Amino acid sequence: MLLLIYFELLKTFSKWRTYIGFITVSVVIPVVMYALYYEGGGFINAQTRSIQKEFFMVGNLFNGWVIAQLIMNSLWVHIPFLITLVAGDQLAGEAAAGTFRLSLIRPISRSKFLFAKYFTTLIYTALLVIVIALLSLGLGLYFFGSGDLIAFAENSITILHEDLLLNRFILAYALAILSMSVVASLAFLFSSFVENAIGPIIATMAVLVCLLVISNLPVDLFENYKPYLFTTYQNAWSLAFKDILDWNEISRAVTIMISYLVGFYSLTLLIFIKKDILT
Amino acid sequence: MSTETILRTINLNKRFKKRWAVKNLNFEVKRGDIFGFLGPNGAGKSTAIRMIFSLIKPTSGDVEIFGHSVRKNHSQALQKVAGIVEKPDFYLNLTAYRNMQIAGGLTLGKIPSSKSIEHSLQIVGLADRSKDKVKIFSHGMKQRLGIAQALLCNPELIILDEPTNGLDPQGMKDIRELIIKLSKENGVTVILSSHLLHEVQQVATRMAIISHGEIRVQGLVKDLLSENKDIHVISVTPKIKAMKILKFSSLVNKVSLQKTEIEISTSHKNIPKLLTLLSENKCNVFSVYQKQTLEDYFLSVTSEEKLL
Repeated sequence: MLLLIYFELLKTFSKWRTYIGFITVSVVIPVVMYALYYEGGGFINAQTRSIQKEFFMVGNLFNGWVIAQLIMNSLWVHIPFLITLVAGDQLAGEAAAGTFRLSLIRPISRSKFLFAKYFTTLIYTALLVIVIALLSLGLGLYFFGSGDLIAFAENSITILHEDLLLNRFILAYALAILSMSVVASLAFLFSSFVENAIGPIIATMAVLVCLLVISNLPVDLFENYKPYLFTTYQNAWSLAFKDILDWNEISRAVTIMISYLVGFYSLTLLIFIKKDILT
Repeated sequence: MSTETILRTINLNKRFKKRWAVKNLNFEVKRGDIFGFLGPNGAGKSTAIRMIFSLIKPTSGDVEIFGHSVRKNHSQALQKVAGIVEKPDFYLNLTAYRNMQIAGGLTLGKIPSSKSIEHSLQIVGLADRSKDKVKIFSHGMKQRLGIAQALLCNPELIILDEPTNGLDPQGMKDIRELIIKLSKENGVTVILSSHLLHEVQQVATRMAIISHGEIRVQGLVKDLLSENKDIHVISVTPKIKAMKILKFSSLVNKVSLQKTEIEISTSHKNIPKLLTLLSENKCNVFSVYQKQTLEDYFLSVTSEEKLL
């Protein structure tokens, strides 16, 4: 299995599209940093204007932790798009290139072959989130320094002491890797249906946007469904920035997301094992 | 020649929606054979080969390779098999060497030795291009790389689907010689699917002709061609008069009028008597030849199918 994963990593990282995500975040994050640096404390002032009359704030509130948390909001749609570029190409790309005829005529089971591809997709997803984490925290702390974190939730503002923040961010990025893996699994599933990568990318983004709308619409009709939609947990990372960690809520989010991972992968396996390779 | 069957298709069927691509396909390949698998375009050759490699699931039936069912025990069945299915495609962003590593690694379960990779590349004349990315390779080079990856891991059965496509005449000759060498010196069994009939005639020992998804004939090439040995083609004028003369001759079994010639079925020893007969009746004979090429045989088998 390790050999299969090694081959899949070779294939994936030999493609230009794999680097689009890394290049994009490597360009966008420093640009965002520069813009915020140029803006100065204006951004944090605007965000805290409503509470400035009630609270007297001291210290460096516009710091690297705040910037890193701000960048995590790109995990809604932007980063998923970059992930689908690779995940949507994993099976469809091989079908389009005709390379299934090179690999699947060998004495290996399709399930092992598929798992190696899926595992590689998850490695790519995790790597992209880790690069985002390193860039945003590294550059953020270097340029803006450390301090307490003002975390903006739906109806509240939480201020977390800087001593807590490293562990909280590690938890947040772990949850982000999981939620991005669900998106990658969906693109991977769509990739098993077709012979070109464009379809899975568009289909994944369409599903994501539709479900995000449903997850965020304050309408009673959808309330019963929301806890079961994976998009409801797209911002599971924000659970790491609550004043007191709610492990029950985190566990429920993790369970739902893992259920989706298993479900999407099982469906892909079912399709791929029966698939006729005609290209 | 060995009588051990190493590949057998058993009532193999494949239906795509309402169309049967392969119908009740039964053929056997013996150890050491160079098995020519012939058929016109769309006859079902590639579908059959894809089912042998388990790329396509049969609607019904099975393929046994070295006694293992491809449907039930795909990994065991394909352990000693390699090949090219249609045109060889590779991971274009990787080097030829890396592609060979992947192809060999998937078969062996470990990365093949550099020596074996280089040896295979050397056989097809690509040793000096091993570090080049495949995306800069010409079609002919990819074809040769396809053969190199098929030779890696010392397979006992090689299935080659149109292996000389895109090769220049020298390359085609080299591949033919290689196939014969593999069979004679290494005891490798080869299934050769090709539309180039003269190519198959030069190398194949046994063959099957498939048309409309069904096997029309199969057997030893020399036997099948000898079945055809009594067919002679005569170029003669006036044709209608000659037809009548030949039709009433007791020496001729069957006469048929072709576009420009007359085809007769008779023993070769009767030809001088028939020529004298035609000459005495003031018919001008321009040429007589025995119809025995594989192309003639192939056309007679597949045109029978069309008439049916």
